[in-house]
Amino acid sequence: MDDPQSCGVAAANDRPPDGGLLSEATTGQLALLRLSGPRLQAATSGGMLLAAWLDYLNLAETVHQKCPAYSVERLFRDMERVQKRIAPTMRALASMEPEQVEAATAALPELMGQLTQEYKSLSEAGRVAMERAEQAIAAAQFIEMLTAMSTLKLALPRLPPTAPALTGVGLVMSSGGIMAGTRIVVTAEWVEMMRRLVQAGAISVSAASAAVRIHAGQVMMAQANRELPQGVREALGDGPEVRAMHETGKAGAGMAERPRHHVLPEEFREWFEKRGFTGAMDINKFCVELEMAKHQALHGGGNWRLGRIWPGEWNQMIMDVLQRAERRAGRMLTRNEVLDIVAERMKEYKIPMNFVSGRER
Amino acid sequence: MNEDHSWEGNWKVLLYERVRERGYESLTAFAEARPTTSLVALAEELGEDDLNAVQVFSGLVAEAERSHRVTRLVRGQLVRELAKSFPDGWPAVLDDANRFKAAVALGAWFGFTPETHRERVDQGSDALLAHPPPPGWRPLGPDDELLRTLLPDEEA
Repeated sequence: MDDPQSCGVAAANDRPPDGGLLSEATTGQLALLRLSGPRLQAATSGGMLLAAWLDYLNLAETVHQKCPAYSVERLFRDMERVQKRIAPTMRALASMEPEQVEAATAALPELMGQLTQEYKSLSEAGRVAMERAEQAIAAAQFIEMLTAMSTLKLALPRLPPTAPALTGVGLVMSSGGIMAGTRIVVTAEWVEMMRRLVQAGAISVSAASAAVRIHAGQVMMAQANRELPQGVREALGDGPEVRAMHETGKAGAGMAERPRHHVLPEEFREWFEKRGFTGAMDINKFCVELEMAKHQALHGGGNWRLGRIWPGEWNQMIMDVLQRAERRAGRMLTRNEVLDIVAERMKEYKIPMNFVSGRER
Repeated sequence: MNEDHSWEGNWKVLLYERVRERGYESLTAFAEARPTTSLVALAEELGEDDLNAVQVFSGLVAEAERSHRVTRLVRGQLVRELAKSFPDGWPAVLDDANRFKAAVALGAWFGFTPETHRERVDQGSDALLAHPPPPGWRPLGPDDELLRTLLPDEEA
């Protein structure tokens, strides 16, 4: 056991037993993943919503072509109504503001439920219009066609006439994934990936739950804000530590907003931009919320030092380290190298690795 | 991870209380007994929830100023940074990956250098890369021979 290699292996095995992809990521990488959380969440939710909108566009086209008895004006009014229903959520998702994205995601199952209902009544209205025009066979084909091409079809057949009796259909976690009744709604692989993302703090339990409820179909979507069964929530990575992480990340209701501190100094914006900190990786995205005393201390205020000849001021320190490291590396640092160095210094200052966006709200 | 309280309350008092509790006369003595330990690990040992690495270093600077042993502290800090980058000693080949590790260690060293010594540390860093030490070199404290030629004591 004395050779360095076996020591290295021992150290590598010294990780939490749950193992896996994300547990091997460095703190910096995890922080980055968390930073992309709102985008990931917005993309997942937005994708489902867009798929539903595409269904409506197909529906409108089919009604327009196959069922002249349904007036164009009426169809236009229907579509406008649907668009208005979708638009606020899309705007919220597009904003990338974590709070807005979170709220929109949590409300998504209910919206999808409404859209499914509306889709059903719209196609039904089309069928009735066709039957009135004595095109009964064409009407049946029409419905069949709509159902086959729709993303919402998963939800459609799940609303039998006796729907209320079915509200008791529970979701359970099985080895194959999450099941609703006898049907697998999402696979075990999907659940595992969600669990890791939730535990890394990249996406919230409510976002993962919303996706499960949407996949589970109409009955689950209609039950607005109902929590999933505990077993399923646990499979998705819910737990006291995860909840605590999300709570400490927020300023908390009723509390004064804490000052936001740019981890990558704004005076050196250009330096960081040249090393790839642009767009979604802009230095404004790398802010942390700090207590006033800590913020002052980082900037050399509050008379915190013991010695005189080492100021220990964050901005000076971090630029000193980065610029010296770059000079000695003999080449420009990559964005990830910069972040790794910054992550190490954050540990020394005990700056929490919870990045928030520093833009003015 | 526990909530951090390191900037609350009177950490200066806390720091010295903990050092004494562990049987040391000074923070310097506590740190020199752990010459290759990182500042973060030193801070964790003294107070996981209420002390941090920069506070520990600030305390070390204050003591070194009083005892006129700042150069020794600076050498000791390079030992800690090198132990982090090269736990098995100086690499045989300074390829891009190893050169980057060395650059990170030297950059961090500069960050933890008092203003009075910045120039000497810059020169010493350049010298170290221009004339690399033998492979496997692993200084175990501020008295390392090679380190003392790199950054000799000049204080009274």
